[in-house]
Amino acid sequence: MLDLFKNMVKEEWRMHSTMFGSLSFAMFPVMIFGIAFMSSFLLPLLRTSMPAGNIALMTHASFLMLGFMVGAFGLLGNEVMNRRFGQASLLAYSARSLPLSGQFIFSNFVVKDLIYYFFLWVFPFGLGYILASPFIGVPLAGALLLLLTLTLSFLSGLCVVFFLSTVYARSRALLWLLVLLLGAGCGTIVAVTGTNPALFFPPLLLYLSFSYPLFLLTCAALAILFAVSVALFDPQETEKTREVKNSFAPLLAKFSFLPNPPLAAKDMIDLYRSGSVVGQTLFSFIIPLAVIWFFLSLLGPYLPPHGLLFMFAIVAGVIASTMYTWVTMFDNFGPYACLPVAVSTLISGKVTTFSLLQIVPAVFIAAVAVLTGEAANLVPAVVLCLAISFYAAGVMVWLTGLSPNVLVYDVKVLVIYLALVGLALTIFTGIAFASPLFAIASLVLLVPAWLFIRKAKVKWDAVDPAGF
Amino acid sequence: MKVCLESEQMSVILEAKDLSKVYGEVNAVNHVSLAVKEGALFGLLGPNGSGKTTMIKMLTGQVRPTSGSATVLGLDVEKDPVGVRAQVGIIPEQETPPSFLTAREYLDFVGAVRKIPDIGEKADWWFDFLEFGDKKNVLCKDLSRGTRQKLMFAQAFVHEPALALIDEPLINFDPIMQDVVKDYLAEYAKKGKTIFISTHILEVAEEICSEFAILHKGNLLHTGPVADLTARDEHLSSFFLSLVRKDRHA
Repeated sequence: MLDLFKNMVKEEWRMHSTMFGSLSFAMFPVMIFGIAFMSSFLLPLLRTSMPAGNIALMTHASFLMLGFMVGAFGLLGNEVMNRRFGQASLLAYSARSLPLSGQFIFSNFVVKDLIYYFFLWVFPFGLGYILASPFIGVPLAGALLLLLTLTLSFLSGLCVVFFLSTVYARSRALLWLLVLLLGAGCGTIVAVTGTNPALFFPPLLLYLSFSYPLFLLTCAALAILFAVSVALFDPQETEKTREVKNSFAPLLAKFSFLPNPPLAAKDMIDLYRSGSVVGQTLFSFIIPLAVIWFFLSLLGPYLPPHGLLFMFAIVAGVIASTMYTWVTMFDNFGPYACLPVAVSTLISGKVTTFSLLQIVPAVFIAAVAVLTGEAANLVPAVVLCLAISFYAAGVMVWLTGLSPNVLVYDVKVLVIYLALVGLALTIFTGIAFASPLFAIASLVLLVPAWLFIRKAKVKWDAVDPAGF
Repeated sequence: MKVCLESEQMSVILEAKDLSKVYGEVNAVNHVSLAVKEGALFGLLGPNGSGKTTMIKMLTGQVRPTSGSATVLGLDVEKDPVGVRAQVGIIPEQETPPSFLTAREYLDFVGAVRKIPDIGEKADWWFDFLEFGDKKNVLCKDLSRGTRQKLMFAQAFVHEPALALIDEPLINFDPIMQDVVKDYLAEYAKKGKTIFISTHILEVAEEICSEFAILHKGNLLHTGPVADLTARDEHLSSFFLSLVRKDRHA
């Protein structure tokens, strides 16, 4: 029984190392370790302007997000794997050829993801902090506790996404009901206790004040979420033959004003029929941002007036830029290779669809601005969010072409991406904090965004389109 | 090695000159030169891994040659790959139509990309001809392999290209559909259009091809008309096997 698990781990490693080269991929945890080790030395400096609890809070929030992302990617499904990796066939989809149940394979898949990404991300980060702790006056026990609670944060994100997505596969109405209940629960906590619900996040509570009962309760809650997800998982769901009416022709007519209308129409159909436009908006945009809002709002006292909205707009912009991965996830160049379509044309098509999707962050930030009584800053906040999103997406397109998902673990690419996006974020955070109206200056980011996309077209036309 | 086939009056529609492709340390295609004339039904034969698919990919501008050059319908495949793909029809061996479009929508999509007038009527003809009209509103991801192959076949010919390049044309078809497709290809070539197929199924090649070339380990071992073998009362399969075995031991 352990064989399946071992082979899934091998498969995951080989998939990544085939895409990036063994050395480049093996460097990834080393890079995470290096970042954690070096940034640990900034902690004494940060503590002078921000309480240690808030730094811990941000770190836990980041690992919760990581869990969300890994969980969402794990559940993209057979279809995405087939589209992205061509003829690649993964053990996760071998229930029909192996004498094993879908549930058993799914459990192994989740546990594999958990352990694999723990060693890829969580452990190197924790280790960096642990090794730096003697130099920054942090007791070893504290550093080890952080590793434990970050692991629990990561697990929380992973298990919640697995749970919600299995519910989604069974009943969309039930999912919405759960999300509403969750929202209402958080609202009630705020209303009754006047406390930010993020402060009740169990891994954070454990880090701030460890207790065995809470630790066991957290583990039990995660185990229950996992068990229910496995029980709800239905591998047969995707086997239904779907017959639908022609949506392409009407969409083609509607998009005739856009460049490359057939490509935009196809992308929209992909997003709609795969459930991505709802699923991704929920799991990869609204839920992460709702969680981030709760965590960020704790930083309010340390930010300038209106700073929270603009900080949130910037974070939303970065997350909105990942919508480029939504529109590329169903395609490699393969299906277009038999048509008169250049890679640069396909990139243009994807950027067009990405631009259409930006209505989601624009409406979202506008709603947040209104709901938080900052309607006066609605326009600069929306502009800042969209400018950051287009800029970060432009960098992504330039660096990764049509494969943003598969190149994320290429250390060299990631470092360049982080440097270019980090620079813009730093500058425009400062500008927006100086005065809300100055945030409109972020429109200038559209120029480098456009230049990056233009360079990307030349760059990726000159390379053989990558398959798997 | 280069041999021009068919009568000298017919123009060369596809020409490869000293074409090579190296992947890392593997010579997938090694200095291959060949020419195919208009109206030919040309079969590129070879065992698995001999370089056939790479050859088709280079000839259709999907991958760039490491060295050498190729022209298709007078266009340089390296300089104008999109121009080449606009003129020809291609059926890749492993590619399937986009998952979330229906069969009908996929042909509409191909029609919109290729700017084919009256794509609706043409698509309907293909649904009838290949007998899959009952599947036209089914999402491609839910189609059987055979039906997907029918759809890929339709997309390659719906614009009636002067040249079609097909990687393993019959591999997913049932015997009845294989017969329909073989007849179609033969008729298509009779109309003066050119077909370039890559296959390792020698019986098919012998039955429908007018000319053939044999590729082994990326090297061109032979090229010539099928009629030459028939004249010697020799079967393509025995000729192929003796040549490849000889090369293996060389």
